[in-house]
Amino acid sequence: MKVSAPSGVGQAAKPLADPFPPLGIRRSVLVGLAAFALLAFLLSLAIGSVPIPLAEVVHVLLGGQASEATWQTIILLFRLPKAITALLAGAALSVAGLQMQTIFRNPLADPFVLGISSGASLGVALVVLGGTSANVTVFGRTAYLGDFGLVTAASLGAAAVFAVVLAIARRVQSVVTLLVLGLMISYLTSAVVSLLIYFSIPEQISAYINWTFGSFGGVTWQQMRALAPALLLGLTLALLTAKPLNALLLGENYAASMGVNVRAARWLVTASASLLAGAVTAFCGPIGFIGIAVPHLCRALFGTSDHRMLLPAALLLGGGLALIFDLISQMPGARAALPLNVVTSAVGAPVILWIVMRRQSFGQV
Amino acid sequence: MSHTKNQHLNVRLLLAAFFIVALTACAPAQPTAVPATQPVATVEPTKPPTAPPSPTPQPTPAAPTTNLADSCVETYNADVDYFPEKVTVEDATGFVVEYFKHYKVVTVLKPWRGAEQQFKYVIVQCGTPKPTDIGDALVIEAPVKDVIAMSTTQLPHLEKLDLLDRLLGLDSFQYVNNPKVRTLIDAGALVEIGSGAEVNIEKTIAAEPDLVMTYGVGDPQYDAHPKLLEAGIPTILNAEYMEGTPLGRAEWIKFTALFFNREAEAQLEYAAMKKRYQEVAEKAKAATTKPTVISGMASKDKWRVPGGGSYAARLIIDAGGAYLYADDTSAGSLSLTFEEVYDKAVKADVWLLTSFQRYDSIKAILEAEPRYAEMAAVKNGNVWNYDKRVNENGGNDYWETGVGNPHLLLADLVKILHPALLPDHELVFWRQIPAAP
Repeated sequence: MKVSAPSGVGQAAKPLADPFPPLGIRRSVLVGLAAFALLAFLLSLAIGSVPIPLAEVVHVLLGGQASEATWQTIILLFRLPKAITALLAGAALSVAGLQMQTIFRNPLADPFVLGISSGASLGVALVVLGGTSANVTVFGRTAYLGDFGLVTAASLGAAAVFAVVLAIARRVQSVVTLLVLGLMISYLTSAVVSLLIYFSIPEQISAYINWTFGSFGGVTWQQMRALAPALLLGLTLALLTAKPLNALLLGENYAASMGVNVRAARWLVTASASLLAGAVTAFCGPIGFIGIAVPHLCRALFGTSDHRMLLPAALLLGGGLALIFDLISQMPGARAALPLNVVTSAVGAPVILWIVMRRQSFGQV
Repeated sequence: MSHTKNQHLNVRLLLAAFFIVALTACAPAQPTAVPATQPVATVEPTKPPTAPPSPTPQPTPAAPTTNLADSCVETYNADVDYFPEKVTVEDATGFVVEYFKHYKVVTVLKPWRGAEQQFKYVIVQCGTPKPTDIGDALVIEAPVKDVIAMSTTQLPHLEKLDLLDRLLGLDSFQYVNNPKVRTLIDAGALVEIGSGAEVNIEKTIAAEPDLVMTYGVGDPQYDAHPKLLEAGIPTILNAEYMEGTPLGRAEWIKFTALFFNREAEAQLEYAAMKKRYQEVAEKAKAATTKPTVISGMASKDKWRVPGGGSYAARLIIDAGGAYLYADDTSAGSLSLTFEEVYDKAVKADVWLLTSFQRYDSIKAILEAEPRYAEMAAVKNGNVWNYDKRVNENGGNDYWETGVGNPHLLLADLVKILHPALLPDHELVFWRQIPAAP
């Protein structure tokens, strides 16, 4: 199918006012982004609060033995799974954010703003805090309940909220209404979470609050066996949605006229975005701003709204940026660590401001 | 007790509560002592007191030789020292007390971490006039007849001062371990007013406490005292948790005693506790080795460890342990990366978990986080948690009986670090976690 230049402007595209350059996949840019992600990945293996000589890091990564047994463990059991998690999670959030911005025709949509992450939080809270007031050991169940249980709970929570938002989005067209809706869903789910917290013991609450700070470093190799396949599946599904998303940019009728099965496309986008947002939220906590900021960065940096370019670009840039954010949060050289969300917000908020100032208008995606 | 009385007077109390709320809404925030049951100072001479004859030539009743722990002054004499028994503070750094003839002023110096505010309470012997030059400090009449305790850490102090019969209520029944208090709860003798900012003001007003003893963290979102004070309920902050030493915390028994005129008892109780603590610490000094100790647990990639100047660190050091972060000076806790702590903790001899989650075995800990496997303490089975005495709601007696009895906390740690030094001590709060269930 020949993709006839969807211009990225909303429904009423004005051919003369097209601010975007021609479409297409620019391989050199993607290669550059991949190099950036790789560099960030290697940096996050080399830098940490325990100083390890670079030669040792390389030696261990190539299968050798470090001169200190602790270094071996730190590189292979701490830094490597964390770097992989950050790469995958950053990619997942950015791709899910991009999908949502397109399907909702809303520049502010992301897993966080539309309440999808809140849905995942609710799923986790039900598992972590649920029905616990009577028994301290209940919290211990999460460990035994299995990591797949946690991912399932978070993904189901995310999917439930996503389905509700999507159903209402079909009836109301207003961007503002959708944002208000997402906000209300966030409040509703946080009301239920607060209720659960009210009946939990202080230490449980602190465990839950800790989870809400967001972190890539809690994922062990064992959990990686659940997280990595879930995210790789979600990312693969998402990459398949590039063409339908391009068509949907110009509206459902246009997409249908181009032979896109709109219902199937929506379903595929819903499934992949929920899986991505749900799995990341389950293991890393709700991580803000990456999902909203990276798609905008991609559009602005590469001057395109072609999803065949945007999806892989968001994937690589999101993964690389997440690694950099995590490095900043570890504050190399310092022993203490900042919550990840402090860093993503500090970087993400100016990006959104920049978008608002630059575009002037919210109507354009 | 007052609870059953309240049930009979329910409607009237509700009405009263309504009026009090209405009144305090109009009145300035300065809380007023409830005067209804106080005898007004009488002018005509009453019956001669039963006290021994006064050494002073005054015609008025003799000066008391003990504090009035259960009664009010009937005839006030400005020259009489009504607090012949006073507290002296040795180890606590969070409060100071000044004695005057018929009142005492206690100042809470560090109500919470980073506080810029101090709290001053004027404790006036009941039956004597209120001092006039005290600014807007809260005035409490002593001895207080009943008290609502907002933290389980306050219960051991009340028990040691033999004041549990003055306990009117608690913030929450759930976390209480003290058997005597549990009996009171089961008998329906106490009210439950809710914790922190969720405190139920109406219930508190209806209970008519002479005193609410709470604590603050400096955040109106979590603190009960702003709301309680606004409602005109005599509320004081007990900042025992801010003390950096176990003895300092325990010495807050003297702070509690001030409001009940039980200074003599508090002095004796604290002196005995301190002596026992020092005896155990002395034994620990005889140890020939100093096992290295790591405390806390990782949560995801952060590991919160007690700072080197903290309460927990002090206990480990006094028990003859080499705490891994002893060189640090912070009194709070440090949020470090897992990687950073792991690098040190991997060689630690003893691991003190301080986890609210009950692990049946080291195997269960490793299932949740396999990265602990290489730690020396894990390999040697030297992993302990302070969950031996936790009630069915998760209320840990470590933070109740333990804080009020520092010698027990210390003896437990000495037993863990140097078992041969205390062969007869049975662990009270700590439990060794078995390798397999």
